[in-house]
Amino acid sequence: MKQTKYQTFIGLEVHIHLITESKVFCGCRNVFGSEPNTNVCPVCMGYPGVLPSLNEEAVKKAYQVAMALNCHLNEKAVFERKNYFYPDMPKNYQISQFEYPFGINGYFDLELTDGSTRKIRIHDVHLEEDAGKMIHEGSHSKLDYNRAGTPLLEIVTEPDLVSGEEAEAFVQQFRQMVRYLGVTDGNMEEGSLRCDANVSINEQGKGLGTKTECKNLNSSRFIKKALEYEIKRQAKVLNSGEKIIQETRLWDESVARTSSMRTKESSNDYRYFPEPDLPPYRPKADFLEMVKSSIVELPGIRKKRIKEEYGLNDQQAVFITGEKEMADFFENTVLLNSKDSSSTSKEFAATAASWLSGNVQKILNDSCLGISESCLSPERLFAVLKLIENNTISAGTGKKVLAMVFEKNEEPGDLVDKLGLAQVSDTGEIEKIVSEIVDANPKVVDAIREGADKQIGFLMGQVMKATSGKANPGLAQKLIRKKILK
Amino acid sequence: MQGKDMAGNGINSSDSSSVTNGGWSKVLSENKASYLEYVDGWEKKIGSFLEYDIERIRSASCREGALAGIPFGVKDNFAVEGFNITCGSKILEGVASPYTATSVAKLQKAGAVVVGKTNLDAFGMGSSTDNSAFKVTNNPWDLTRVAGGSSGGSAAAVAAGLVPFALGSDTGGSVRQPASFCGVYGLKPTYGVVSRYGLTAYASSLDVVGVLSRTVDTARTVFNTMKGRDILDNTSVSHPGSANNGDVKKIAVLKVSDGILSKEVELSYAKSKNRLLSLGFELIDIELTSLEYVVPVYYTIATAEASANLARFNGLRYGYQSPEGKDPGELMQASRDEGFCDEVKLRILLGTYVLRSGFQDQYYLKAQKIRTAIRNEFNTIFESADLVMMPVFPTPAFKHGSAELDTFQQKVADLYTCTANLTGLPALAVPSSVEENGLPVGVQFTAPAFEEDRLFNVAGVLEAGFPSPTVPGIKDWSKF
Repeated sequence: MKQTKYQTFIGLEVHIHLITESKVFCGCRNVFGSEPNTNVCPVCMGYPGVLPSLNEEAVKKAYQVAMALNCHLNEKAVFERKNYFYPDMPKNYQISQFEYPFGINGYFDLELTDGSTRKIRIHDVHLEEDAGKMIHEGSHSKLDYNRAGTPLLEIVTEPDLVSGEEAEAFVQQFRQMVRYLGVTDGNMEEGSLRCDANVSINEQGKGLGTKTECKNLNSSRFIKKALEYEIKRQAKVLNSGEKIIQETRLWDESVARTSSMRTKESSNDYRYFPEPDLPPYRPKADFLEMVKSSIVELPGIRKKRIKEEYGLNDQQAVFITGEKEMADFFENTVLLNSKDSSSTSKEFAATAASWLSGNVQKILNDSCLGISESCLSPERLFAVLKLIENNTISAGTGKKVLAMVFEKNEEPGDLVDKLGLAQVSDTGEIEKIVSEIVDANPKVVDAIREGADKQIGFLMGQVMKATSGKANPGLAQKLIRKKILK
Repeated sequence: MQGKDMAGNGINSSDSSSVTNGGWSKVLSENKASYLEYVDGWEKKIGSFLEYDIERIRSASCREGALAGIPFGVKDNFAVEGFNITCGSKILEGVASPYTATSVAKLQKAGAVVVGKTNLDAFGMGSSTDNSAFKVTNNPWDLTRVAGGSSGGSAAAVAAGLVPFALGSDTGGSVRQPASFCGVYGLKPTYGVVSRYGLTAYASSLDVVGVLSRTVDTARTVFNTMKGRDILDNTSVSHPGSANNGDVKKIAVLKVSDGILSKEVELSYAKSKNRLLSLGFELIDIELTSLEYVVPVYYTIATAEASANLARFNGLRYGYQSPEGKDPGELMQASRDEGFCDEVKLRILLGTYVLRSGFQDQYYLKAQKIRTAIRNEFNTIFESADLVMMPVFPTPAFKHGSAELDTFQQKVADLYTCTANLTGLPALAVPSSVEENGLPVGVQFTAPAFEEDRLFNVAGVLEAGFPSPTVPGIKDWSKF
């Protein structure tokens, strides 16, 4: 299965849509899904006489990404005009950065399947404006300029990725990082994260081959499939003694293949030149300091720390740090416990992690909510786990209480009181029920006495049924054994 | 020294200028009927306005303020809500402006009233206003001649006394050259001092908002009202004020070789020197070695930027849309082909050519380097002089058509005005004399950055000592 004859080189161009109040060069709202042409003004519609006015919030987020990717920050960043005619681009040029982008020469630590990491070099990080949308309907074309002028950050990697699988992993880990930074929602379906790939293959040791650019990779799964297809296609071409044509190819998911869109010869000459309407951007030291201090602990580092600090296993750590909001929730829950010495923090952390990845996540999945949007708080989860730990309720009842917290948006302790869910730990009361059950099931009792220990479970079930599940299970089992084996 | 004293007085004169104290504030009220009749009579002859309506947006101006009730014209490449913004081109015919330019809004806030939009060469590209798709504008001094361009409509309207001032845009001399042709003042401020927001871009790094006026203090008042940083124009700057109180003692006079200027301009230029000497200024002769590069550098940069600036006009969102075109690409192509005039197409093509891949170093970036060299040469001159004096244009107003000056010669003749745009420095065209052929000729002063006060001061001294003639038969509304 391994391609041994050829070496593969993949470089990615990832576009992320920045979360900002307003568009990058005007005051229009930057939101997805509005009625067509409602978030527009003379500036983003390219009326005569308008000028771009740079949005500082977009600049800050761009620098957060450039710093998180360990880029060298240009002392003077220059906006340029990229000229090409397209109906959805109001000015028929795109304000972008070319020769002097915000950040250059960075790297991203890609975690590989064997747990090791490899540096993927980042060529540059640059800020630009998005275009509108053109929708073709029969003989008509409709234009929606809501997206025109929304801030887009492009991250270009060097051709350091070696397989479709690695490219997929890069996009996933990169997406996780930029979501941690809070600069984008990374929603690929809505186009908040878009990806193009440059791919070439060559005989081992011969360096880069002739590349093709694959477009339309709108989910991380497509990326892997499309690149694997393209690598095979290129190998076939080379094996047959032909040459690769440098061209742009479009991935078509419905037929699972790439097809030629345009060759280099017919490609655009963008006629870049410095944007005279925007002075070069020179980041000041205090601005960079402010950006630096606003960068949160990144997912790779946090996973490692959380694993070590709380003794979680790999799987748990991966789950907990998958999204920043989950990791924050987890750590806040554990923090509440550290003020309470009845259980060690590692024990409690493991319990909290398994509840979050199990019971909690199941409810979140069913209701399609993120944890920060739900009515569960670290305080409420902590309360549930404490009720179990001090035997007020069983783990099973705890699950029910959790579900009710989501349903009723009430405190776990109140729910337990109101519904009388506290378990019975009164020895006398349980002893009475146990003797009734033992008397009523002589055959089971005989079997147990003859060594069928598992049958105790049946009796336990009966006890629970008789107490509506409120009997302290440990106590009940102890009393059953005592009664039968006496 | 006389020059210095008068210059000193000039600084505070903006509060009591002829425009704010005279009859101009009454032409839209008490003297409305006779004023409108007067405008109508001249308009039939000169065709300076593309739209004229004193009531249309009068309510958009404050009732109080230094310029309350004073009418002004705005070149039709500025956005003024309530009026169209055609830029003199068929491709924007009938396009209503959805907003108002910052410069215009500041004047409205001071009380001035926009009474109409003035004619121009399409998108500010030309020296005659003959490149307008809509109207011919004639020079009030001689109706067979052009008013200059591209702000020809503004210059003609001011010269004929229809408005005390009008806004123009100056990319390579488009305010100063028509001012010289029509015998009025034409100010090109320091780049970035007046917000460009709302001025349709021709060449963004060269464009400035300029003023055409009948008097020096009107130009000063209007400039002071408009200047200042604007958050909607990231290239705008706040004006730090003059470094030396606008004081002028020594003026560097450009030596012009024989045979370059027409007889009239040569005579007028000599007069200007003698007048300055008689007023007590010290003159020194200078040469500008970079002058021969000015026109090629200007056209390289201006057309490169224009090729991108004019790309937005494609007939899809507003303006002229061709009935041809089977798909969006063809539709844009046909709309542009039919909507732009030849001069505009020529400049777009030239700009596209100089920006093409692999040639930026050779053209655009090289032009930028020469631009820096020109600026350095001026800076050196300003180490030993307060101002530079130059001609505005080698000839007085020429006849319509290309009989006297073809379009190529017109471009070559931009050399004296383009320098201020390439350097970003402020410059003022001052009406100086009317020669034997009955045509006015102006002279140009260039100052260091932010030294507009020096320009106003020297012009004020000349105005007082040698009042410039006005168009025969015009009425001075400031006196009514």
